[in-house]
Formats: sequence, structure tokens, C-alpha cells
Amino acid sequence: MTEQNNNSLLPRGVNDTHFQQALAKFRQLLGEENVLVKDDQLIPYNKIMMAVDNAEHALSAALTATTVEQVQGVVKICNEHKVPVWTISTGRNFGYGSAAPGQRGQVILDLKKMNKILHVDPELCTALVEPGVTYGQLYDYIQENNLPLMLSFSAPSAIAGPLGNTMDRGVGYTPYGEHFLMQCGMEVVLANGDVYRTGMGGVKGDNAWQVFKWGYGPTLDGMFTQANYGICTKMGFWLMPKPPVFKPFEIKFEEETDIADIVEFIRPLRIAQVIPNAVVIAGVLWEAATCNTRRSDYSTEPGATPDAILKQIQKDKNLGAWNVYAALYGTQEQVDVNWQIVTGALKALGKGKIVTQEEAGDTQPFKYRAQLMSGVPNLQEFGLYNWRGGGGSMWFAPVSQARGSECEKQQKMAKTILNKHGLDYVGEFIVGWRDMHHVIDVLYDRTSPEETKRANACFAELLDEFEKHGYAVYRVNTAFQERVAQSYGTVKRKVEHALKRALDPNNILAPGKSGIDLANKF
Amino acid sequence: MNIERRSVLKGMALGSLAGVAMGSSGLAMAKVMTGGQAQAVPTLALVNTAVARSAFLEGINASPVSRQVEVQRTDLSLDFILGLEKRLRSGQPQRIIGLVDDATAALIVDLARSSGARVQWLGHHNAAAMASQHRLLSADVAHGCALQLGVQLNACGTGFALTEQRLPARQPTLRLASAAQNAVGSEQWAATLGYTLATLGMRSDAQPPLIASRQSPLTGNFVSFSIEA
Repeated sequence: MTEQNNNSLLPRGVNDTHFQQALAKFRQLLGEENVLVKDDQLIPYNKIMMAVDNAEHALSAALTATTVEQVQGVVKICNEHKVPVWTISTGRNFGYGSAAPGQRGQVILDLKKMNKILHVDPELCTALVEPGVTYGQLYDYIQENNLPLMLSFSAPSAIAGPLGNTMDRGVGYTPYGEHFLMQCGMEVVLANGDVYRTGMGGVKGDNAWQVFKWGYGPTLDGMFTQANYGICTKMGFWLMPKPPVFKPFEIKFEEETDIADIVEFIRPLRIAQVIPNAVVIAGVLWEAATCNTRRSDYSTEPGATPDAILKQIQKDKNLGAWNVYAALYGTQEQVDVNWQIVTGALKALGKGKIVTQEEAGDTQPFKYRAQLMSGVPNLQEFGLYNWRGGGGSMWFAPVSQARGSECEKQQKMAKTILNKHGLDYVGEFIVGWRDMHHVIDVLYDRTSPEETKRANACFAELLDEFEKHGYAVYRVNTAFQERVAQSYGTVKRKVEHALKRALDPNNILAPGKSGIDLANKF
Repeated sequence: MNIERRSVLKGMALGSLAGVAMGSSGLAMAKVMTGGQAQAVPTLALVNTAVARSAFLEGINASPVSRQVEVQRTDLSLDFILGLEKRLRSGQPQRIIGLVDDATAALIVDLARSSGARVQWLGHHNAAAMASQHRLLSADVAHGCALQLGVQLNACGTGFALTEQRLPARQPTLRLASAAQNAVGSEQWAATLGYTLATLGMRSDAQPPLIASRQSPLTGNFVSFSIEA
């Protein structure tokens, strides 16, 4: 149980005396202005999109640090007073928990002020950044210095950050779209205050930290992602050289049932790297919403949007039931050859209408998709939140094989469950090399307690039903962390908790993250 | 009208709406001292296209601080977001209030957080022709504002449900609700909201304007906020 006194919310297991002592020490360490306890300072951290009450993710305080030494100091104080601290970098993990703590009463450690671009090497195409650096900041840096480099980022692009996105194993839309694959070297403040550098980072005088991932002995980088074993304060990653030619294109498919054929068409091209980027196969509602279509434009009836309306939207907005976005990168010769292969394969498929950049011009959603595939920030995808409105959004993101039958099965299951709960299938597939990130935005109206309850039940059923078929999500909002951890089995959880006991015996770092919490019975 | 609300409204009869709207801890919130005299700080009102045509701005205009209010339309462009971020980080004391769509609000509120601004009021609103739902998160300085909104909604006779949570959850959630008492569409909620946000934390003897019923009142989902930078 979270403790509470007359004046403030307290972290779990911490009494008021200890909490006040901790706050006094935080103020001494960080300065008064970096210890936030007033209600109007905490409210912006509590704007959640999950289908639970705000109170479940209310914070007791927020801290902002500017140096690694301060982070070490925070960890020391947290250990002394057993204060649990939930770290955010830019805090823009919209739909996965935003800037709120995973558990009620936790203290937020906000690293937004640690926002230095420490290093960009245009020859080796590497970068080293702090947690608060945003993609927008990095994009500006690259532009201002006229560097021949290209970023890969998730859709919130400009305002999100590479460190946080990669630590949560987020994806982008360029050939470097699997962000953790492109990560190289991290610095982590451990719960005991030690500063650990992965890969080559521990070697005195080393200059290969951002170019060689593995170092010597166990490679532990992955252990710190989606985890609570340390606080990442620096991260290196690889940047793609800007290609001389970039050719984005879209292929529209008319029928929802085309998904299996689309996947079978794309997979060989993707695995062979003919199409090198993280291809997107976006459903009609996803694309309609991102170009300012609202459900209320078509219906004010409650419940799921009927298929007849989906077809009307498809027609009105000149969209496909599925909209495939891909791009070719390289020299003109490379692009020409690959274009021939792609168009030849599409001809053999016998369906799908190809749209080039020349044909699309500045129209949406092609424009923002092309920008995402070429590392140009935009905020177009925020339009999703206006489809139904009400501020509710939870990403349901099951992984599947890049196999037509699997994707078709998942899409049908998801749509059936969502519609049963009166909600819409607003989904896309992001094609890895051999996998699919099937990303569905469970959009609902948080102003309606009834709809919020329904959305919560829907999300739970999605997890349950998908699990019965051997599917699990790769990432989830903080309200469902414990539930998803259960999908991955007891042995994995025991190992994770053994690591937690060894590295963070006081359970101060983000207890509950990915279901790892020493208060659990493991 | 449910029991919780009835008792609250009975209490309301003892004082004027404006009196209740005054948060004692925030009397000077929207004022800065200049040459020994208190002056209202500049206020930016952010509205999307639909709201710009609604009674929300009438509510702001009826407030004593209307002359300090600059109105700006919002959009999802990077230019708008970067401009707002620059303004929030300018170091100039200011208030930013608004009623916008969910997508824009997600960006605005998070920009407020990342720039270190304070948010005294965050409301999610769903308005249909004859009923509205309001889910509010508020700070001490906004004490009484949710109640004022509820009283006005009750007075104009449209059905509504309103909940207000305080952070960090020190007080019980305020819940108000009423069924529709007439069949005429109203934008009173938007007008009262505009007035309430404009005067939040200030002593004011004026009243929110009464809005005539409209054929096509403002409907849909919106987010309101009051930010102090």
C-alpha cells in the first residue's frame, strides 16, 4: 500500500519523516528549483493516456538532475531512505505511460536537463548523447553543421529522444529502424552509485566505444533496456549516411483481406534488403486519422465504426484498406535496379497500386511518411489522438512472424476483440527483417468512465486471447507491465528478479518496470 | 442531480460563484508586481479552429483580464510547437490557457512539463448537443473552479457529469452530475470554462456570461488547461 499523510502522497513503504529527510537531501544536492513537490508542478507529469485512474500513477515528487554525479547522488539518497525512483529521459513515451511513474507514489527522476549532444562523428557515422537530447535537437545539429547523416526515429520524432526510445526498444522507419540494433555503448549509473560503461567503454583511453558493441566477456547492454537495473546517462548509436538518392513510394491495396498477400510480397524483398527500410503496412483508419479525419465526421453512434464507413473513408480520402510505405536508398544505379525488382514483384502479385513521390506531391499521408523514412521530423501522427478523442491511447503491440497467414490471423483477432468492446482497429505492421511489430492504437474516450472501463477490459482481453495463440507484446504501457511479464514465463521472471536482488537490493530503481519488483514473490 | 452534488450546490447558495472561484492560495497567481502595483500577466489563449468559433472566447472576453489576452490558433505543425516552446522558455512571466483538441493538448501539456512550467488545471471535455462530460485534474490554486463550472452547467439545464481530482490526491474526488432539464443545445460550458480559466486564481466580482442556446453548439472532445510559465 502507498502511504499517505495529510500533506503529500508518499512512496510505497516510506514514512513521512523519511520522505521529508530525503527531500531535504535532494534539495541540498540538486537545488530547490530541481525538487518539485507542488501540485501544479506535478500535474503535467500525471497526464496519462492509460485506461486507469490518474491516481494510480500519481507521483510524490519530481527531481531534475543535470550531471552524472547528481544522478549518483540521487541514487545514494534513495538507498538511504528506500525511496523508489522512476526515471524518464524526455518523457514522451505517449501511450506507453508518458511521463508518469509506473507505480503510485514513486518519485520521478526527470533527465530532460541532461541534454548535451556529446559527440557526432560524420565519418564513422556515430553519435553519443545524453538522455534529454531530442531527435529534433539532433536533426537541427545535423542540419546546422551540414553533416551527411540521416536519423531514424519513431513517429513523435522531433520531441522524442534517441536514448529513451532505444532503451524502450522503440523502432523507426529507415534502414536503421531497429534502434537497439544500432545502439553502441551505454553509460549506466547502477543502484550502488557505480558508473558502468558497456562494450569498450571501460577501457582506459579507448576511442572505439561507439564503433564496437561487444567489448570483452558478457555483453550486457540489452539487460538494461526495458529494465530497472540502472539509469542510462549516455548512449552511443549509429547514424545512417545520407544516401545520394532517396525514393519513397506507397502501394495501396483495396481490400482488408489483402494483408496476407502483402506480407508474402514484402518479406523476400525486405530480407534480401532490396527494400532496406522498416516498411509500414498501415490500415485505413491509421492513415485517415493522421490526415485529420475524425470519427465524428462520419458517425456519432457509439461503438465500433462499421465496415461500410471504413470503406467510405477509404474512398473519400483516397486511401487503401492497407497502405504500404517503403523507400529505396543509395546511388541512382542502385535505386534503379531495386525499383525494377520491386515493380516486377508487384506486377507478379497482380494487385496493389503504386504511388511515387512525384505522383503524390505534397499530399498527406504520403508526405509525412516520406519524411519519417528519410529522417525529417514531423508531428503528423499525433492526429491519431483526434480520431475518437478523449485522450485515451494504449499501444497494443504484439510481435508476429513476417508471414502472411500470421499477420492475417492477428489482424482478424485484434479487430474482432476491439469491435466487441465497441472500439476500432487502428493498426499498422512495421516490418522488421523477419518479424512484424503489429502496432495497434487502442483509442478511447477517457472522459467517459464507462468507455475507459471498456478499453481496459478490451486491452486485457487482447493480451489474454493473443497469449492463447502464442503471441505476446514487445512493449506495453505501465498499467499492464505485470500482466505482460507473466506471458513470458516464470523462469525468465526468476532470473530477472535474481538480477534485481543482486544489483538493486533496496529495490529503488523503477520497481515494477517490466514486472520486475522485489515486492513480487520471486 | 445526485446527492453528492446537491449538498455541494446547497453550500454554493451561500456565496457568489466568483467568491467560490477565488482560490485563497492563488490570489496573486496571475499577477506580477510592477512598481508596487499588481498587474495581470500577459495571457495567451490557445484555441483550435472549432473552439475559435465557440463561446469559449466569449467567456474569456467577459473576464476582467480580457485585455491581457492574446488569442492564437493551434495546429500540429512543428512551427507552432517550436514557437510555443520558445515562448515557454523565454523566462517572461505569462499564462497560457486554452481549449484545444486532444492531439494538440498532448503536445502542449508535455511542452509545459519539459519547460518547467506549472499546470494548475487540466480538463478533458466531451460535449454533445444535450450533455457533456468533464474530467478535471486541478491544483489548489484552482479550488472552486470545477464547482463553478458545475453550477453553471446545472443552471443552464444541460445534462452533464463532472469529476475533479486534486493532485496529489489529498482530497476526495469531486463528482457532480445532472440529467438534461431542457432540450436546447448550449455552449454555456465553453463560456464558463473560458471565463474560469481567464480568472483562475484571481478575485473577481464579475460573472461568466450567459450564452443563448445555439442551433449548432460546440461538440466533440476537447482539452482545457491553465499553464503558468
